Amino acid sequence: MILTLARKSLTARWGRNVFIALAIAFGVSFVSGSFVLADSMRATFDELFDDITATLDLQVRTQLQGVSETDGAVRDPVEASLRDTVAEVPGVAKVEGQYSRFAQIVDKDGDPVGGGGPPTFGFAWYDPAPESVFQIVEGVAPVGPDEVVIDRPVSELTGYVVGDTIPIILDTGQREFTVVGIAGRDDGQDVGGATTSYFDPAEAAEILSAPGVYDTLDVTIDHGADLNTVKQAVASVLPPNTEVLTGQEVGDEISDQLGTIISAFGTGLLIFALVTAFVTAFIINNVFGITIGQRLRELALLRSIGANAKQVRRLIVVEAMIVAVLATVAGVFGGLLVAQGIIWLFNQAGAGFPSVAMMLLPRTVIVSLVIGIGVVLLSVLVPARRASRIPPVAAMRPELGFEALSASRRLLGGAIVTGVGVVMFLVGLFVRPGGTSGLALFGGLGALLTFIGITSLSTTVALPVSRAIGAPIQKFFGVPGKIARDNASRSPRRTARTASALMIGVALISAAAVFAYSLRDTFTSVLESSINADYIVTDQTFTGLPPGVAEAMHDVPELSAVSPLRAIRGTIVGTDGSDKAIALAAVDPVTISDLVNLDVTEGDFSGLEAGNGVMVYRETANDFDLELGDTVDVVYQNGTEGALVVSGLFDDNSLDGNWYISLDQLSTVSTQAVRDQFILARVADGFTPEQASAAVEAAVAPFPQARVQDNAEFRAEVSGQIDQFLALITILLSFAIALSFFGIAVTLALSVFERTREIGLLRAVGMSRRQLRRSIRWEAVIVAIFGVVVGAVVGLGMGTALSLAVPDTVINQVTVPVPILIFVIIFAVIAAVMAAWYPARKASKMDVLRAIASE
Amino acid sequence: MEATGVCARLSAMSSVLDAPTTPPAAAAGASDARKIYGTGDAQVAALAGVTFACEPGKFTAIMGPSGSGKSTLLHCLAGLDALTSGSVHIDGVTLSELNDKQLTELRRTKVGFVFQAFNLIPTLTAKENMQLPMMLGGDPVDEEWFERVVTTVGLKDRLKHRPSELSGGQQQRVAVARALASKPKIIFADEPTGNLDSNSGGEILSFMRSAVDEFGQTIVMVTHDPYAAAYADRVVFLADGLVVAEIQQPTADQIIDQMKQIGH
Repeated sequence: MILTLARKSLTARWGRNVFIALAIAFGVSFVSGSFVLADSMRATFDELFDDITATLDLQVRTQLQGVSETDGAVRDPVEASLRDTVAEVPGVAKVEGQYSRFAQIVDKDGDPVGGGGPPTFGFAWYDPAPESVFQIVEGVAPVGPDEVVIDRPVSELTGYVVGDTIPIILDTGQREFTVVGIAGRDDGQDVGGATTSYFDPAEAAEILSAPGVYDTLDVTIDHGADLNTVKQAVASVLPPNTEVLTGQEVGDEISDQLGTIISAFGTGLLIFALVTAFVTAFIINNVFGITIGQRLRELALLRSIGANAKQVRRLIVVEAMIVAVLATVAGVFGGLLVAQGIIWLFNQAGAGFPSVAMMLLPRTVIVSLVIGIGVVLLSVLVPARRASRIPPVAAMRPELGFEALSASRRLLGGAIVTGVGVVMFLVGLFVRPGGTSGLALFGGLGALLTFIGITSLSTTVALPVSRAIGAPIQKFFGVPGKIARDNASRSPRRTARTASALMIGVALISAAAVFAYSLRDTFTSVLESSINADYIVTDQTFTGLPPGVAEAMHDVPELSAVSPLRAIRGTIVGTDGSDKAIALAAVDPVTISDLVNLDVTEGDFSGLEAGNGVMVYRETANDFDLELGDTVDVVYQNGTEGALVVSGLFDDNSLDGNWYISLDQLSTVSTQAVRDQFILARVADGFTPEQASAAVEAAVAPFPQARVQDNAEFRAEVSGQIDQFLALITILLSFAIALSFFGIAVTLALSVFERTREIGLLRAVGMSRRQLRRSIRWEAVIVAIFGVVVGAVVGLGMGTALSLAVPDTVINQVTVPVPILIFVIIFAVIAAVMAAWYPARKASKMDVLRAIASE
Repeated sequence: MEATGVCARLSAMSSVLDAPTTPPAAAAGASDARKIYGTGDAQVAALAGVTFACEPGKFTAIMGPSGSGKSTLLHCLAGLDALTSGSVHIDGVTLSELNDKQLTELRRTKVGFVFQAFNLIPTLTAKENMQLPMMLGGDPVDEEWFERVVTTVGLKDRLKHRPSELSGGQQQRVAVARALASKPKIIFADEPTGNLDSNSGGEILSFMRSAVDEFGQTIVMVTHDPYAAAYADRVVFLADGLVVAEIQQPTADQIIDQMKQIGH
């Protein structure tokens, strides 16, 4: 019976159920899409790397200890002589010395391809085995120092074809080559994004800047030889800190590394998907709440003719569940579209994904179902319980029913929930029980509870606040303004609930803005205080600068001090006996003091000149129980062991971490290709900044990848990057925000429907359609501003807490993002006016007589 | 529809119900019933100590001016609303001793309702509305009895219609049919003809009168219309929350006179 009633009621209230279903489907498809995207990308890349490594039997390379490539570590190369050693191993057919170095193509407009984005590689070209999917599809293999083969996606992107002259930026500077061939997969499924160029192996060492060494040795074994036997044999001739892997192992490793990145990306998307789902819950909850008010008499009638409270409750829940299940199923499949849409967007931005087969795993379906149905169940629980409390007498005296619906104790309950939420949020941020997962769990749940509690609390402030917001509107817009103001404040619960959906989105944006602005201001002020250098040279691809740049700058007489910053990783033994990973920065001990100010309190950078000196951040030194003159045993990332002597302590670790060694020290422990993270320089006395700038630009001109910025420009760029980060977050939250305006529209439409008689009366006594439309529009504006104000207050609080929770070295000040807040308010007013369009139209089209006669 | 035809059909159903052999003291009643709304200065006593009993197998009308407490009395008698003090009973059961679940069960099995308006669930058909109380309880529908009730109220060809597709009179007939369909001990009617024209109203009242005469159904009706009240066996007058008068076998004129005395 309940099922029949639910089914009939659903079909009778078609419109609002379609809306609820859409909202759920939207939220769920975002969740499902996050999973589908990550799974599909992972599967596609796994397949691609399987193909690529299918023809690779074994690979010899140096080891990395305690770190991986994903940490940014670079392997030392292998000695070229090892190639012959390996070639003599029984079962080995062929050994190819391979490089994987920086090589960036310059397009026909003179712009480097893929700057700052996807990687740019230069490889040695060896003819692939005939069975390989990767072949030269046009032209021939490169021979001699001036020929290059490029891959097909780059050819298509840049328009370079066989026979063209192509400029390529290398670690040795920019050079021109002739394109002699195009390489690609014979099935056409090329992976775009990364740009790759291939050179004659005999010349590659020279061209790619690594004479006497190879990055890896790629081994092909004899036909019929046993892979593992040969692998063992190869392993037995290798020097220390060198390893041999099968092609399968190499492929798996790349897949894992890529999988980690894809997972992080998927998780990021999922967080925003969950925020959207959470906002959906608020809107659905509100719609159900209003619906129950409208069905008061019907539900009371059911009660009076013998339905018990449980049956009424079940009726509401069953109705919601039918919609939820249908919408969730639609949402799961909608996820496929979302994933494809995101891939399309990335491809538009030049990511060049191969055609990705959509993967809908059972896990995705289950999680989506749980979230979709769970959200609806949670949002209908309270309205259903309230519905069951409607007394039967309300069938005849609805006013008694409304009394039962407007429950009290909200203030206390809301305050308790808010309190618990805030405490959890703060505990999550500051105490972090159980590390990152504790931070996410407590922080997330705390924020969730805070939002729920604030919604409940805001019911109590909705009346005065919405009246206050409405006051100027009433003043300037007369009767329609007054009616808008009265309507917005007559059901504070509804106003609060409708505004809450918007409140969440605005709160998250404000919190992100506070965080980002604080981060930016800290960053720029730290840069200002810790960098004395006049010039900062960075690279555009985030892969680091070749040593030639710093060398060229050393020769510039207009500069008094130049130091690159290089990085290496290692492990040291902590006070608890376990290995701790550390990152060390290598600097020029002679010049660095002129370039940076790290608040050195004991010792001096000149202590590094001794070779084995190390400067340590004071708090880190405390953690490891180190004092000036102590010796630290380090195992570097390549396995080399070393002992460093603490030659100084400093208080500012914001520039490049907690450990500084000398460049000489670095070169004695590692043979890795030198990459400079950035290079600092200072104008010599007696030269003007203009002279120095011109000289620096001229010195680095052969290296187009190097970008020279003065101190102020550098700071401006850093803050620009943080603005971009904030814009990305805003875009991801915009789904939730759009949904909340959708919620305002629906709530208003339902209110208009509810007030049919009243609207008829207003029209009968002479209100024009235009005035009516205006009053509804202003009501939307009042509700929206209410949401924005509460959201901004909550968001500022959260953002401040967030900023205070991160270490002072990252954020040491809190900035209120005033421009963003102003923008959000203006945007909210415009969006609210748009949201009111349909309800206002509906109300103004109403037939006056029929409206008055309606029950 | 003519009244004679209705009576003929009603008498055809009379064999289905056994006439009560030994009538119990009262089908429903109230003793010293008080109902107070509001608190402090705003207190209003809707019922100020009403003692009242309705005889089984009789048609009782409750009348009184607006604010006299007649509707409140009906709601409390029917277990739709709770008293502030005093007690009400239906079929020997004191309602204040029941919890919400038991009270619901009692409404579903022993009580039928006809309201002034909004009697029907708008999303259900006429037939579904009539069978709703049984279906809510999961009780089997006595098809034979249901058939007779439907035939009697003349809605056989309207069973599949939604309330919005029925006239006001037809909607009220569905409501009466629903009340009769579950064979309750007592039917409470709250201004059942208040929203109807006099022809449709007369029809509904004739049904109710016949249900009492032919099946021995007990009915309590609140009305302010003397002509409607004249269908009853007995009229009880309320004023300011108290029973002030009573007329047995009333005529419309007697009722009008009484109302003038009360100051209607």
